[in-house]
Amino acid sequence: MSSPNANVPSANRRLETFTYDDQIVKWFVIATVIWGAIALLLGVTVAFQLADWRLNLGLPWTTFGRLRPLHTNAAIFAFCGNAIFAGIYYSHQRLLKARLFNDILSKVHFWGWQLVIVLAAITLPLGLSTGKEYAELEWPIDILITLIWVVFAVNFFGTIIRRRERHIYVAIWFYIATIITVAVLHIVNSMELPVTLTKSYSLYSGVQDALVQWWYGHNAVAFFLTTPFLGLMYYFVPKAANRPVYSYRLSIIHFWSLVFIYIWAGPHHLLYTTLPEWSQTLGMVFSVALWMPSWGGMINGLMTLRGVWNKVRTEPGLRFMATSLTFYGMSTFEGPLLSIKSVNSIAHFTDWIPGHVHAGTIGWNYMLIAGILFYLVPKLWNAELYSKRLANIQFWFATIGLVFYIVSMWIAGITQSLMWRAMDDAGRLLYPNFIETVIKIVPMYWVRAIGGTLVLTSFILMIINLYRTAKRGKPSEEAVFEAYALDDSSLEADSSTHRKLEGWPMIFSVLSLIAILVGSAIEIVPSLMSDKYITKVSAIKPYSPLELYGRDIYVREGCYLCHSQTVRPIPHEVLRYGKPSDASEFVYDHPFQWGSKRTGPDLARVGKKYPHMWHYKHFYDPREVTAGSIMPTYKWLFNQKIDYSTLPAKIAVMQKLGVPYSAEEIQTSVEKAKAQATEIAAELVQSGVPEKIVEMEVVALIAYMQRLGVDYTSMPAEEVASEE
Amino acid sequence: MSQSQETKLHVEADEQHLLLDHAYDNIQELNHPLPSWWNFIFLICCIFSGGYFVYYQLMGGPSLRDEFNQEYARIVAVQEEFRKQNSAFNQEHYAGILADDGVNKGQVVFENNCLPCHAEKGAGDIGPNLTDDHWLVAKSTPDTIYGVVFNGSEENGMPAWAELLTKDEIYQAVAYVSSLKNTFVKGKDPEGEKIED
Repeated sequence: MSSPNANVPSANRRLETFTYDDQIVKWFVIATVIWGAIALLLGVTVAFQLADWRLNLGLPWTTFGRLRPLHTNAAIFAFCGNAIFAGIYYSHQRLLKARLFNDILSKVHFWGWQLVIVLAAITLPLGLSTGKEYAELEWPIDILITLIWVVFAVNFFGTIIRRRERHIYVAIWFYIATIITVAVLHIVNSMELPVTLTKSYSLYSGVQDALVQWWYGHNAVAFFLTTPFLGLMYYFVPKAANRPVYSYRLSIIHFWSLVFIYIWAGPHHLLYTTLPEWSQTLGMVFSVALWMPSWGGMINGLMTLRGVWNKVRTEPGLRFMATSLTFYGMSTFEGPLLSIKSVNSIAHFTDWIPGHVHAGTIGWNYMLIAGILFYLVPKLWNAELYSKRLANIQFWFATIGLVFYIVSMWIAGITQSLMWRAMDDAGRLLYPNFIETVIKIVPMYWVRAIGGTLVLTSFILMIINLYRTAKRGKPSEEAVFEAYALDDSSLEADSSTHRKLEGWPMIFSVLSLIAILVGSAIEIVPSLMSDKYITKVSAIKPYSPLELYGRDIYVREGCYLCHSQTVRPIPHEVLRYGKPSDASEFVYDHPFQWGSKRTGPDLARVGKKYPHMWHYKHFYDPREVTAGSIMPTYKWLFNQKIDYSTLPAKIAVMQKLGVPYSAEEIQTSVEKAKAQATEIAAELVQSGVPEKIVEMEVVALIAYMQRLGVDYTSMPAEEVASEE
Repeated sequence: MSQSQETKLHVEADEQHLLLDHAYDNIQELNHPLPSWWNFIFLICCIFSGGYFVYYQLMGGPSLRDEFNQEYARIVAVQEEFRKQNSAFNQEHYAGILADDGVNKGQVVFENNCLPCHAEKGAGDIGPNLTDDHWLVAKSTPDTIYGVVFNGSEENGMPAWAELLTKDEIYQAVAYVSSLKNTFVKGKDPEGEKIED
């Protein structure tokens, strides 16, 4: 590739002077370490809660179901989010030789994002949740996120427009794919109809909602935790190693194949569910095809370190970067493996999955962020790193902690899965009581929690190191840079097509958008024509008002984080839970609540399985009916009264979403709910429960529990036959 | 920014010719060819993926549901055989169990499985009191108790324990429950019809 006139100044070239906005980068760096520590502390907290249920403290806002969404949201959007913004804003300016588009937009971006995080930290412990993993935030916050993302995009693309470098570097390709795709994912998955300021229902239901959610959930991993970090890797690894990037050609091939293929892989989260099988198969095969595109990034990163491996031993920043690339390679091999149907039937719903996730988030994201911070902080604060030794101690704490985490979760996941499926020669489950399989793996929960504590400790060591570094920084004058304004001299007459494309960032962006829309459209559009997609069955009726209220409590308490509601067509699962789930069962579920993890048993068929009194005792203290249970207590449900006032509005919204409630049902909803509560309470009172229970939330939750799966399992046989 | 710290770009001798002449913030790129093993595995994965999709979705390969139905039918047949052999109460077998410390062994089975609903010593809680002389579904005799334990009682929320316990465990539980009747432990009030024997 030649560019004959690249360095030849033409007569009318304009030399411009400019500065970079590093203040905003500093702010984002500070936010990164603060939120990172909080996210990790929350992670350690929920890990210990799984090992010992008493650490839930019996308070609503400290219980696992509410803290886990806070942990995941904090880790992804607060910790990784701020790190992405810091890294992008630092590198973007330098790669384009242009100051960020607008200083005020940068500040709005920063404070707006912190506001989102603070709102999340307040609302999630209060139980304000949409019930969709990694997208739990309620609608006003969703709107705020959208606005802030637009501010970021304007600032980002505005800087591109004002650039003094014609061609955009591979890091920026990844940033572009990130900004475009996250916007599409967030908007499509957050479509919801508000009931009040703090409550909404997903526009989609059942199978549709599951598909959209996991298209989002999977691609949040792809486009929030992978592509921006690959972009950062492409800037910071060659910078820190002072090495040229290994292969430009590989960058091109792996960028486009990654972006195009990743978006299809979402349905691998829904294998063996009632999602149409062609869609499941697409999810699996694209995941398999994704293996090498992912490894393209790892190769380009690790091979860039060719010839400087001695520096990896001595430079903490490089050591973290090299390790992060290794863990990236490991988890992007494990991912395709887990997406193969037969492997997935073993691993899904078990602890193997959180193990896999943390290999990525701790191994790849945290380690890469650490590497970047060890590069950035000395530069930004104009100081030498305080202590290499401390950084090395941090490195070993993080690595050993992570290995504890991954290995304990492999053992726990595979052990439990084998126990779930073990059968004797009379065709019966060997461990029919779910609790036996839980008690067996609790020791692994302790190991994981200790591993997590080591990782948290490593993070605190990093904060100390970075703080000390910044403190000894000497104030420096703002550096002024010079570059020629963009003009015809940087046009390359005989360059390749892709090289030309790199000079056309807007066309590049449109092509990236098309690349991610192809897979999205092919998988999602058919599901939106749901009449043809799922046959409605007359026996499946909408929830009664009280059951719907109970369902909202189920969502509020985050029950879906430990309990699934979908029985896969796998023999041992049907023996344990009952008939395999059917797509028709979920048509009124806004949002769907299939879950992704079985810390406790599946609940799809729990309706009428136990008497009301069993649930009553179980919610009060699960150990009263299940010795050894690790589920928290839910005692507040026994003295928080049902708020009937919002019920008609909730049902009206459901009606708008297509659930066949009549106008009369909306009007009489409160009356009907009270009647059903009275009925349930009467039975409880017979067993000696005080009469005031009729007013309490637990009754609504029991009503919901007792409804689960009942319509389908009690369906007359001929109707099942005709439907099949 | 300390430009002085920036040392000369490290380029290995065998890759000088691969260095492209563009640079971004001093980052340069080599243009190594794609690793052949990378190309090869990528190709294999794509061929596998395409073949898999075509076979299972377009050429009528077995669906997950087909595979399940086949496997489940096999298990159901095994279970039916077990039920056929064991659903009827066998007085002789019961006598053998009783003779082999059945009541005490049954107490262990009871405590591991029945306690949540029937409470300690069968005093009753969610399920009925087993120590009085009133009966809901079973009618006081071991064979009727066996029927309820084996098949469960759906309307009363009692599970079918044949799905969970072994044959001997069920007989032992029946032996223990039979030993409880008319011990009148203070607990849940009597339910069902009174049967004297």
